[in-house]
Amino acid sequence: MYALLALITSTVVFAFAVWFPNISLIVEIMGHPGISFSQKLDLPISLLGSIATNFTLLSASYTIAIALLFGVNLAMTTYFLRRKISEMRQSGVTTGFIGLASGVLGMGCAACGSLLLTSSLSLIGASGILAFLPLAGGEFGILGVILLSVSIYLIAKQIQNPAVCKI
Amino acid sequence: MKQVTTEYGDKVAWVYRQFPLDQLHPVKARKEAVASECAAELGGNDAFWKYADRFFELTPSNNQTNIDTVLPQIAKEIGLDEAKFASCLASNKYDAHIEGDVQNAVATGGNGTPWSIVVAKNGKKYPLSGAQPYASVKQLIDLALQEK
Repeated sequence: MYALLALITSTVVFAFAVWFPNISLIVEIMGHPGISFSQKLDLPISLLGSIATNFTLLSASYTIAIALLFGVNLAMTTYFLRRKISEMRQSGVTTGFIGLASGVLGMGCAACGSLLLTSSLSLIGASGILAFLPLAGGEFGILGVILLSVSIYLIAKQIQNPAVCKI
Repeated sequence: MKQVTTEYGDKVAWVYRQFPLDQLHPVKARKEAVASECAAELGGNDAFWKYADRFFELTPSNNQTNIDTVLPQIAKEIGLDEAKFASCLASNKYDAHIEGDVQNAVATGGNGTPWSIVVAKNGKKYPLSGAQPYASVKQLIDLALQEK
């Protein structure tokens, strides 16, 4: 059950990352009255292939890594919470969400408009800052992978060592 | 896009507009856009496409192109008048044209390149962001061709 949860979560995060630049187009096609249901599904399915065409090798790698790590992270957190450990420490969970937030900001590529960070910085008129980052925002994706990995490690540690009162 | 023009022939028209990303490629992207317009001015449509194709073959990513050497080099390679090309490149004659294209891209929702809009005969638009698989592009073209 937890493996399935991890798989579904990873798939959703991955799909969001590759669909993000064209979400409004997908919504429009889904609501188009003149297209059959199977035709409506064709576009989102074919857009999944953009991981190979619209991402650099580096950004594709950390996008897939973030999706997988977040799925595992969520499944482990769910397992952990369901064990009803009353004195659970929050650190692993928090790091996981910070990791996902950082990863989502850095997913994609700045030049092709698939980077959420570009849109976010544009809102505050600071998108020029990307030109000064060696990986043009990809740093956030790498940071996301690191934080999610740390989070998984911390959760695994807590699962293996449930709350015990030290004497 | 070449595959699109080969497959669809006269059913489609490919209109190219400039969209230099100043935030990521300050100064250079705009100069490169001017260079392609100068190529078009001196050698017509064919020269424009030869220039653009060769440019994308030669340029590394992340604003690392040495525009002082690469731009004249391509002009020479494709047989343009080097003096006229240099003069055109140094002028500001295409600045307004390129800025107009940039403003148009932003106004239509573009926030990166490639930014493509498939326009049907009835004016219906299907904007597509990024370098997407051919199957996605083809589906939108087929959809636009069906529009009455």
